[in-house]
Amino acid sequence: MLSPERLALPDYEYLAQRHVLTYMEDAVCQLLENKEDISQYGVARFFTEYFNSVCQGTHILFREFSFIQATPHNRASFLRAFWKCFRTVGKNGDLLTMREYHCLLQLLCPDFPLELTQKAARIVLMDDAMDCLMSFSDFLFAFQIQFYYSEFLESVAAIYQDLLAGKNPNTVIVPTSSSGQHRQRPPLGEASLLEGVEASLFSQCLENLCDRHKYSCPPPALVKEVLSNVQRLTFYGFLVALSKHHGINQALGALPDKGDLMHDPAMDEELERLVVRSRLHWTSRQHRAEKPGAFGFQRRDKLEAPESMPSASAPSPYPCRWEPRE
Amino acid sequence: MIPGKYRSVSGRAANNVNCGLHLVIQTSSLPEKSKVEFKLNKETPSFSGRLLQHDLERNYSSRQGDHIHLASSSMPSFPILQRSSEEKILYSDRLTLERQKLTVCPIIDGEEHLRLLNFQHNFITRIQNISNLQRLIFLDLYDNQIEEISGLSTLRSLRVLLLGKNRIKRISNLENLKSLDVLDLHGNQITKIENVSHLCDLRVLNLARNLLSHVDNLNGLDSLTELNLRHNQITFVRDVDNLPCLQRLFLSFNNISTFESVCCLADSSSLSDITFDGNPIAQESWYKHTILQNMMQLRQLDMKRVTEEERRIASVVAKKEEEKKRESHKQSLLKEKKRLTINNVARKWDLQQNRIPNIAPNQDRKVSDSPQDPSQLHGSTVSAFPEETGSLDSGLSNTLQGLSVTDTHLVEVDGDTLSLYGSGALESLDRNWSVQTAGMVTTVSFTFIEFDEIVQVLPKLKIKFPNSLHLKFKETNLVMLQQFNALAQLRRVDQLTIDPQGNPVVNFTLWKYYVLFRLSHFSMQKINGTEVTQNDMIMAERLFGILAHVASSELPQYRLISILGDVRKKQFRYLLETKGKKPGLVNEENSDSKRLVGENTNRATLNYTTRDFYNERLEEIKEKKKFCKMYMEDLVKEATEINMKNEALQKLWPQMFIELVRDAVIEIRNKNSYMKLCLQQITDQK
Repeated sequence: MLSPERLALPDYEYLAQRHVLTYMEDAVCQLLENKEDISQYGVARFFTEYFNSVCQGTHILFREFSFIQATPHNRASFLRAFWKCFRTVGKNGDLLTMREYHCLLQLLCPDFPLELTQKAARIVLMDDAMDCLMSFSDFLFAFQIQFYYSEFLESVAAIYQDLLAGKNPNTVIVPTSSSGQHRQRPPLGEASLLEGVEASLFSQCLENLCDRHKYSCPPPALVKEVLSNVQRLTFYGFLVALSKHHGINQALGALPDKGDLMHDPAMDEELERLVVRSRLHWTSRQHRAEKPGAFGFQRRDKLEAPESMPSASAPSPYPCRWEPRE
Repeated sequence: MIPGKYRSVSGRAANNVNCGLHLVIQTSSLPEKSKVEFKLNKETPSFSGRLLQHDLERNYSSRQGDHIHLASSSMPSFPILQRSSEEKILYSDRLTLERQKLTVCPIIDGEEHLRLLNFQHNFITRIQNISNLQRLIFLDLYDNQIEEISGLSTLRSLRVLLLGKNRIKRISNLENLKSLDVLDLHGNQITKIENVSHLCDLRVLNLARNLLSHVDNLNGLDSLTELNLRHNQITFVRDVDNLPCLQRLFLSFNNISTFESVCCLADSSSLSDITFDGNPIAQESWYKHTILQNMMQLRQLDMKRVTEEERRIASVVAKKEEEKKRESHKQSLLKEKKRLTINNVARKWDLQQNRIPNIAPNQDRKVSDSPQDPSQLHGSTVSAFPEETGSLDSGLSNTLQGLSVTDTHLVEVDGDTLSLYGSGALESLDRNWSVQTAGMVTTVSFTFIEFDEIVQVLPKLKIKFPNSLHLKFKETNLVMLQQFNALAQLRRVDQLTIDPQGNPVVNFTLWKYYVLFRLSHFSMQKINGTEVTQNDMIMAERLFGILAHVASSELPQYRLISILGDVRKKQFRYLLETKGKKPGLVNEENSDSKRLVGENTNRATLNYTTRDFYNERLEEIKEKKKFCKMYMEDLVKEATEINMKNEALQKLWPQMFIELVRDAVIEIRNKNSYMKLCLQQITDQK
């Protein structure tokens, strides 16, 4: 932590790189919004909780999209949260449409924009029929790439279009020689009608892009790796390759590997407890329903004891007493 | 004497036939119709008629072959009839040629005084050779084979013409028979009534057993008292009100099915006796009282006297029917209005959905101009508001009450269902509903209303209609699963129906499970008509359970409080807004909020704020964010300054330290002078 390079950066740049200010501002904002409630238990505790949640990645739950998008860490946390909450949907084997995934996203972030989901869907479906059903893992990985690297992908798209059109963005920067221009013209023009752009050229442009821009982009080495395997590729082909690349996924660190996507033992345990509890609830309600009362539902409410709200740090109160019957 | 009933009213021709001749006017009714008390029977004539029969038989039997001499004439086809002179003197004015197997009318010589001529039961096909009998008053051609009325143009004195049981197809050639009193054409093939308008002395007209399909053309029969139309195919009757003397009208065994087809009878003031038996109308439940009600002058119906009691009942029943008709008319008007309103609302909704902003405000303006129609148009139904315990006729108390109908929205309470169409209808929840009505409502149906708007009135719904257990949504723009979170604030929901029309959310495969998951504390019984099984609940829990867990246990404390606090704040806000905070409610809402905390807390954080509210809140936060940014910037500036200074100090410190040390060492170099210096300093201090 106390590495010399940390001290080497000037103040503002350091803060900006770590997005410290974003979190500080947000913390103060939250404090202002919930003054009355927070003043009850102290500001210091609030800040502790806040930054704890930032570390754990739970700070983005039910927040507005502008905040979720603000920092890479937020984005990664959001992806992880989405995976955690809806892994069960994927495990169930349901194939859903883009709109349904969007609905699920909206459960976590009410104003999540549709365009992002659409773009993610396009990656999976290769820009084909947009109403097709997608599997959870396909969508999730594509969504990861789209969401985490949105700006990067936009620039890549621009570069791709340029390459398709025959312009090499490199020529703008480097003083052009006639030979360089001649090289670009016909072969690309013809070839682009067939299958996209030449991988090596593309790779070169992307390298320049990664160097030029500050915002997060995939590790250049891995990008090169992706591009080195093929001769030519289309834009969506490239994106699909990115999404399926294990290395990039690991570099991101938000989601587990594809093979482990459905595994989350801690949550599964929790889920079993919930299921059992709901089963008991159901059967006891059936029993109660058989005995009609004047105001059945009122009696029901009385019988239900108010539960204490589990806090973020407390362990789950129920010891596992029942085995799942299935 | 002619039996009284056939005596002509004008009294004119009564005496001419007064020679011991008893006429029996035979009408057609067959004996087997036991219902009919009048046994008008041609087989067994009445007492007076028997005399005639006897007479005839006497004539026949004793004079067979004697006096009736049918000699062949010069004309090969027509026999000539001659009677002996004794006969002629005895029975100078009547001649009976019954059952003589005649096929043609014989030429009757020298009988110019003849008044009665009887050709019954022969095979005559044409009326001929009687033109010379110009004194003829009574002509009987019953039971022959005559196909056409003809040959009567000279018989100007004819009063009774009996042509029953022939083959006559048309009524014609009766122009000169202006004195005709009785015309009997029963048992023929006549299809329409015609050429009788000049018979102003006709009192009895018998057209039974013909092929009449309707009755009209009866004008001119100013003396007609009896009209027999039994056993035809009559479907409607007209012109009977043009018969000023008509007393008896027999329409048995026809095809009359509605009163409208004989409605002219109501206008006939002279009718006292009428029969309808054997018609389809007589089978109807309303037959008797409708006839009696419309024909107050009637004394006998279907050969039975009309009693006062019957008349009274008839009028009562008729009144009831009238009222029922009025009521159903009102109902249908109401329904129509409702339908139009719903159409209007639907159209407005469609426009809204297509986002045509220009038209919408115009429509609103137009609609706001429509005056207070509801109270006016449905004054009676609004006043039938149960809270005023309006006295409704128990027979007419209808469960359907259109309570508020304007062009923009419709509110309807139908027994246990409250239906709201159009967003304006939501305001009706503010009304004072009687406890009885509100208590009965178990189903609330929303149509053509934005779900976001419905969400805002859900607290009101909870309070005003505590027994509403079934919610229905149609065309309410339900697009996100998240919107179902809003339903959690209700007290209880047993059934939920989301109509696919206008609610895209239904297209999602998992929507039911999400509803079951989020609203698990309601223990819903049915969703869209299908029962909820335990497996559904388990599946719902499996799919979304982790979401609940994350939402509750992984949120930091302050977030939990702030989210739940929001919900509670909204509830408070609503309650404060209601005019006149009822004390009873306060406790309720306290327990409500407690219950809110108590029920399935791990789901309680899953809320839905309508888009507008959400955007509003984001706007509000912008200010705060700006402030925070500035504040942080200040802090950062301070911190960086301090940091800079700190760093600068770090850099400079070694130098400074060395200098300090050097200065000190230099000072202490000469011990004595240093000691002196110190002492000096101390003394100076004093």
